[in-house]
Amino acid sequence: MRRPWLIVLVVVWALLPWVLGRHHVDLLVFAAIYTIAGLGVGLLLGHCGIVTLAQSVFYAMGAYASAIITVNLKLPASLGFVVGMIASGVIALALGWPVLRLTGFFLAVATLALAMIANALFFEWDWLTGGTVGIGAIPKLGLFGFVLDTPLTFYYFAWVVAAIAMLLVHNLVAGRTGLAMRGMRDSLDAARVLAIDVHGLRVTIFVVCAVLGGVSGSLFAHYTGYVSVASFTIDKAILFLLIPVLGGAASIPGVVVGALFITFVPELLSKLGDFHGIVFGLALIVVVIAAPHGIVGTIRQWRKRALDESTATPGEANK
Amino acid sequence: MFSSLVVQAILSGVTNGVIYALIGMGIAVIYKGSGVINAAQGEFSLIGAVVAVFAMKAAGFSYPIAFIAGAVFGILLGIVVDVVLVRPMVRRKADEDAFLLLTIGIAFAISAGVLFFAGRDYFTLPSIGSDGVAIVFDATIRYHAIWVIVACAAIVAALRFFYRKTSFGLAMMAASIDADGAATTGINVAAMRTATYGMGGLLGALAGLLVAPIVPISYYMGLVLTLKGFCAAMIGGLTNPMGAIVGGIILGLVESLAIVFIASAYKDVVAFSVLLVIMILVPQGILGRRGRKGG
Repeated sequence: MRRPWLIVLVVVWALLPWVLGRHHVDLLVFAAIYTIAGLGVGLLLGHCGIVTLAQSVFYAMGAYASAIITVNLKLPASLGFVVGMIASGVIALALGWPVLRLTGFFLAVATLALAMIANALFFEWDWLTGGTVGIGAIPKLGLFGFVLDTPLTFYYFAWVVAAIAMLLVHNLVAGRTGLAMRGMRDSLDAARVLAIDVHGLRVTIFVVCAVLGGVSGSLFAHYTGYVSVASFTIDKAILFLLIPVLGGAASIPGVVVGALFITFVPELLSKLGDFHGIVFGLALIVVVIAAPHGIVGTIRQWRKRALDESTATPGEANK
Repeated sequence: MFSSLVVQAILSGVTNGVIYALIGMGIAVIYKGSGVINAAQGEFSLIGAVVAVFAMKAAGFSYPIAFIAGAVFGILLGIVVDVVLVRPMVRRKADEDAFLLLTIGIAFAISAGVLFFAGRDYFTLPSIGSDGVAIVFDATIRYHAIWVIVACAAIVAALRFFYRKTSFGLAMMAASIDADGAATTGINVAAMRTATYGMGGLLGALAGLLVAPIVPISYYMGLVLTLKGFCAAMIGGLTNPMGAIVGGIILGLVESLAIVFIASAYKDVVAFSVLLVIMILVPQGILGRRGRKGG
């Protein structure tokens, strides 16, 4: 076994909800849901250098797709997931194709504009989305005749989905596509010389990000049983951006750390009212200034430095 | 009847437009001076207005004093943002994404701070001049709105004079155009960037102070204002702060005519769609003079 710590992690993960109270298990479910959406944003930010503020749009589309399919059309929940993923992907393709011609600041502002337009449309198209009233009574998910109606059961389901998403993203990043993405991020001209279809690759990753957002949204809809436009504001888009930035955009465990941060910090600060927003903003500022590789990236750097120092011969260390 | 509706739309469009223009000018000034798009520009407006409101309500200052307090606070905020946050990142030679994340973080923190300390209330300031209205071709315009337009024109003239005729303004321009060249002639480039952020903070706060009597201000409005201002600056061409005036007025007119001809609910949708189309199809803006990086 190459990674013994992985077994320890799985055992801790399996036992954790039995130790924690129902409320904390509930938060861990949200951490799993946010991890999936954050993975997509991290893929764009960490490997392509693209800042997206539009993840809330695709999260909303997944959630609305699941709600409309199961409540309004009374069709099975699995279809809701599929439709949500396809709708997110198709819209991401249609929007991403023109918008991803932009880079840097301008691309980020464009995604912010998309998120604001989408939020206004979700609000106005109440015949479809229910507007501020929303869509309620979304049925619980069933799996092999087993209903996921408690935080405990949903905890296992959501984290398994999150783990699959992590594995898929890991494979994508570790393979040729990952190399191409990082090549494109670090040297655009060199990537073009190596015949990497830069625009096509950016659009592809944008679509992957959107599909992850859609899955995350569908899970959210089935878990809470209620969706409304209030869940899909621009604040949500900034939270999804915060997740990979805090933990470390290029690292998959970093995304999990970021998701845990944004779910548990408001809980820890709940006595102070709306104080967590300030902490989120300051956390973003501090990480960007002091730890550009995020929490996990910075810890890795420390470990690497410590390792280098311990393996170096004394003579070298004194140079 | 219909024509007066259109005249009314044009009047309110121009009024809103000059506000967007002020925010856009702030964004353009900071972009030109430091190469950063400041996503917190609308938050400067929010802070300016909220400080003035609290100076009047909590501290009991008169309106002119509160107005000045809001503007000064804007300048200070801009300076603090540069000295405390931007400077270490410039020293590290951080990339564009990092600056963008930084300003998003600033915007989020300020918005959350206003929510925490001031609550979910909507804040208004008294009108400048009297509360009355003037009648123009069967349509009405508030005296305050006329003052806003006059103030905007004055700010534009002052800005133009500052950047072209005063040695301080010229030094700021020089530092932004060629940092190394400016340094060799004895200009303190870092101080000029700080001054640029102070200027951006001032323009942002003024926009907030002028808009608060027309549109009540609340904690969540910063990003919308930023995006409207960015749209104004983009239409005019980001490298030309004066272009933001034309861009802002065009945006204001498009918005208010969208209210008349489409529906008021789609005003922001129309405005941000215009932004996307302009960014993709006319990246130089209609008055932009030189190319920009990044698109």
